[in-house]
Amino acid sequence: MSERRPYVRAQPRDWWARKPYLGYTLRELTGAGVALYGGILLAGLISLARGPDAFEGFRSFLSSRLSLLIHLLLLAVMIWHVVTWFQTMPKTMPKLIAGGQHVPQQKLTVAGVALAALCSVALIVLVVAVGALS
Amino acid sequence: MSDVMERTKTIELRVLRYRPVSDQQPVFQAYQVPYSDDMSVLQLLQSIKDTQDGTLSFRWSCRMAICGSCGMMINGDPRLACNTFVRDLAPNPITVEPLRNFPIERDLVVTVSDFVKKIESIYPYIIPKTPKSIEAGEYLQTPAQMAAYESFSDCINCMLCYAACPQFGANPDFIGPGAMALLQRYNGDSRDGGQQLRLDSIAGEDGVWSCTAVGVCSDACPKQVDPANAVNQNKTKSALDFFLRFIRPKAQAAGAKS
Repeated sequence: MSERRPYVRAQPRDWWARKPYLGYTLRELTGAGVALYGGILLAGLISLARGPDAFEGFRSFLSSRLSLLIHLLLLAVMIWHVVTWFQTMPKTMPKLIAGGQHVPQQKLTVAGVALAALCSVALIVLVVAVGALS
Repeated sequence: MSDVMERTKTIELRVLRYRPVSDQQPVFQAYQVPYSDDMSVLQLLQSIKDTQDGTLSFRWSCRMAICGSCGMMINGDPRLACNTFVRDLAPNPITVEPLRNFPIERDLVVTVSDFVKKIESIYPYIIPKTPKSIEAGEYLQTPAQMAAYESFSDCINCMLCYAACPQFGANPDFIGPGAMALLQRYNGDSRDGGQQLRLDSIAGEDGVWSCTAVGVCSDACPKQVDPANAVNQNKTKSALDFFLRFIRPKAQAAGAKS
């Protein structure tokens, strides 16, 4: 006798916390870190618009220990965000062919991260230079 | 020296079994199986079926990672049983389950009909740009034009990518990585003119937009097809198609006609 009774196993609710998906979950969570940092910058901008007193308050928050801790944490989150962003980027593009050969995705990731690093260094140099001249 | 290695060691294989007639839900059953270092997990299963338990059901055919039949969860990862060697997992017990995210028919056999329907839904054949008669000769293609899609034609329909995809697990109607790799194989072909037709079929929530770029499908692929690339480059194309239709109404009308 044959009887068809397909059994459907439910997807575990915590699939996102399990291996191989944990890396993906952390990658997506870094987006929240980017948003948080955007919020800090926005708070600075609003303080600036409100006048010198408000902006001084924002600056004294920036120089606090708590702010330093948050910024160190956000720096780590941001670096991870950049690296994983450039790891995902080649997956979203048509296959690049140069000289009749596929350009390996690894190369695109390295080039992207290097460009981001270069831009960051250039920005730091610019800020320091402007600070020294003013 | 004999061609067959002596099976001097024994390993425990835990198989998730489901017999629709007698089981209310799947249960694990453990087997002690003699093995040698040249054996695959598929050979362990065959050995059980031949010598211990003839009722154990599983699919297999080629034994060399080209037919795509023996996909299953081995120690929790989607793998081809013929392509997974016991020596790499020994001496710990090996757990074998049917492919995740699919209904279980019996033991390690899962339902494939939905997957086949998805494959059929994306027009899996060349729709010539300019149809011509046999007398007019073959459709020509340069090696560079072939390189643009060739890797996507390596898919063996083993469904490991579907077992790896949590979004397919959450939404069984999601077109999924394997069918999208096949879609890209045809949409990337210089001889093909069916791009718009296929793009229209995957524009919705059950099309490419269920994908959140988890990317584990590409890691699971035994043929390095990179289905995540097929899905995600078509997200870009689907988005472009959505916005460009406002500024090129003629192209859209031509696409709808073909």
